[in-house]
This record gives sequence, structure tokens and C-alpha cells, in this order.
Amino acid sequence: MSKKVLVVDDDPDVRLFSVTVLEENGYTPMEAEDGESGLKMIKAEKPDLVILDVLMPRQSGVRLYRELKTAKALKDVKVIILSGIAKKTFLRSQKALTEFGGAQIPEPEIYLEKPVEPDELADVIKKVLG
Amino acid sequence: MKIKKLLFVTKFEELGFDALRSLLSLRKSALEHVVFVNVIERDRVAMRRGKGYQKDEEIRLREAANIRFIDWAENLFEQGMEVGVYIVVGSLVPEVIQASRKEDADLIVIGRSHKGVLEHLYSGSDVTELLRRAYTPVLVYKQLSETAISVEEPFERPLLAIDWSPGSLRAVEYIKAIKDTVQEVHLVHVADEKALKGPSAMAIQKTRKEARDKLDEICESFEAAGIKAREHVYIGDPDEEIEKAAKDCQATMIVLGSSAKAAWVEKFLGSTPRKIAEDSIYPTLLIAPEKADE
Repeated sequence: MSKKVLVVDDDPDVRLFSVTVLEENGYTPMEAEDGESGLKMIKAEKPDLVILDVLMPRQSGVRLYRELKTAKALKDVKVIILSGIAKKTFLRSQKALTEFGGAQIPEPEIYLEKPVEPDELADVIKKVLG
Repeated sequence: MKIKKLLFVTKFEELGFDALRSLLSLRKSALEHVVFVNVIERDRVAMRRGKGYQKDEEIRLREAANIRFIDWAENLFEQGMEVGVYIVVGSLVPEVIQASRKEDADLIVIGRSHKGVLEHLYSGSDVTELLRRAYTPVLVYKQLSETAISVEEPFERPLLAIDWSPGSLRAVEYIKAIKDTVQEVHLVHVADEKALKGPSAMAIQKTRKEARDKLDEICESFEAAGIKAREHVYIGDPDEEIEKAAKDCQATMIVLGSSAKAAWVEKFLGSTPRKIAEDSIYPTLLIAPEKADE
């Protein structure tokens, strides 16, 4: 059975791009358009990998990632961040939330800054999912 | 009624990051989430003869907005804040109201309208339209360059205009909920000039005393909530007197209750909250009554 990958991004063009790459490489893609619906899908579908944007309506990738990595049942779900937000900002925001009393969480498996080439995305997905 | 989530509506030319920065003192109360909204007006990308829908222009405008929002968002994320974004093609007011509903925002911040006089006369301004339709409190932000007053923290010394309407009483509770951000509140009631035509000086003084007693009660409730408060009674035209009171008190913002008056009624009878929102040099916070339509 092919592995399930959830794409969480508010930009329909980016979702289409990622879904196409996933289909062409034999994965089963799923889509969510914001952090809140993304989290619901993760809980319901337990995907093998999440490709996550950061700046989105309703719930950002910063908070969604934190929720994933602090939930016992979800913390092993692998995450690739694909965003226009710089990696150093993402890491600083997580550090700030930890300083405000949140838990220490690990860095994402892979952090890609938009835009990416299809081959580059396919390669990192293979690398993460093995 | 705390301000946890703020919707920051911008076309960029009228409202920039400096405006948002001045609102971050709300973090002392409860602010933790900022949602940026940029609405690309439909006519900027609409069908043109021989060109069709201007998809390229839409992409260009979206990306221009995205680049600005990413920069702003990075700043806020690094402070541990939560940030969201909407870049949509459509009509400003319906899109803002839709985003506000989706996000369950506690405050909408918007810049003053820059429509021309004629356009304004026929179609009304976006701000007026938003004030009429939004149940969520709306802050009409005024830039320092347009106001000639220095407002570093708009919520520091609000002037609350009270007319005992449901909206203005709701505003009292709204300000109490952000007490950690507010240093001092000035309460003003503008009595109608007709009150001066009482049968005697005693009758006029009685009107003033009654208003003052009612304001006193609200002041006490502010003091009990830990906010310093002072009451003032002015007399005359509310539009002018509220502005004068704001100057006299060195207020940083004007707060008013608003009502859901129909557009045509407003056009002919006028509305003090909306006139002040549009014309005052002060940032103006409008609070609708509890059950207004959205």
C-alpha cells in the first residue's frame, strides 16, 4: 500500500504542485487548506508524512507543528516544512514559544524555502520516508 | 471580550507595519494572534476586451502582498505570536467580514478610506460599509502623518463617548477587558444643545448633574476594574464636541458605540460614530451592540 502524505497549504497552486509530485512518485496525497483542518486530517488519517506551510489562515504551521510534536499519538508523524518563511524565523518562533512555557520540541526533518523544483521535493520525500 | 485575535486589513499604502507595531501593546492584555488581510479589488484583475481575465496581474498582486506579509509575519513569529494571512480577490467588505467570521476575530483594524468626494457620496466608503455590517469591533486607524498628533500606543488613553446606547455600554466592558493596556480612560457625554433651552438655569444644571451622576457610576466601575477614569460633560454638536474633548483630554483614541442604521437612513440623517470614524484625526474604535447583524 502506498504511503499517505498530507499537504497543508492555503495556496491552491502549491497544493496542486505538491500533489502532482506525490502522485507521480507513487504516494497517496491528501490536502488541507489551513492549519486547523490539517490537524483534524492528521488525527483522522494518520498520514506517514505532512508537507506543511507556515503562514496560513486559522492556524499557522508554527502552532500546528508544535501541536504535532507535543501530542503522544502524533509526535512520530514526519514533517517537511515548505514555506516562504525563513527557517531561522521558524526556529526562533519555536524557541520563543518554549521560553513562554511551552515544551522543547525537535526541529523538523526537512525545511524547504519556497519555491522548490519538483525533483528536489521528490528527493526529500523519498529521503524522509525511506 | 478580550482582544486575543486581531484582523489587520491593509492595502499597504494606508496602513503599514508601523501601525501594527503601535497596537502590539495589546499583548499586555491578551493579544496573541494577528491575521493579515489583503483584498485585491476585482476590477484590478477583471476581464478586459481582448485580454480576458488578467491572471498574470492577479499573480503579481498576490505575490507583492505575500512578500510584504512574510516580512511582517517573520517579525511577529519571532516574538512568539501566532500569525495568519488572507490574500483574496473580491470586494473588500464582504471578504473582510468573511475572514473575520472564519477567524472569530475580536477586533478588525482598517485604515481610513481614500475614496474621492463624488465616489464617497454615491457609494459610501468601505469603512462606513464595514462599520454598518460588522458585529466585531472595528478600529479605524489614522496614520501619524495624517493626524499631526503623536500616538505611539492608541489604547493608552482612550476617550469613550457615552450616549447610553447598547453599543457604548458594550464599549465600557470592552475597555475593561483590556485594562492592562489602558492607562487612563476619559468618559464624555455630549448633551444636546436643546438642553440649554430649559425653563430655568436650575433645569439646565439638573440635566448636567444627571449626566454627570450616570458617568460617575461608570467611572467607579472602571476604578473597581483597576482603570483610572475621569468624566466630562460637554454640550453642543456631538461630532464637534467629541473631537474637542479628545483634544482637551490629550486622548490617544476615540471609542464610540455604533448602531446598525440602514444605509439610506444614515445618508440622510447622518451618524456621529461614522462621521468621527471617517473625519476625526484620532484613531476611532467603533463597537456595535451585541446583536447587530453581520
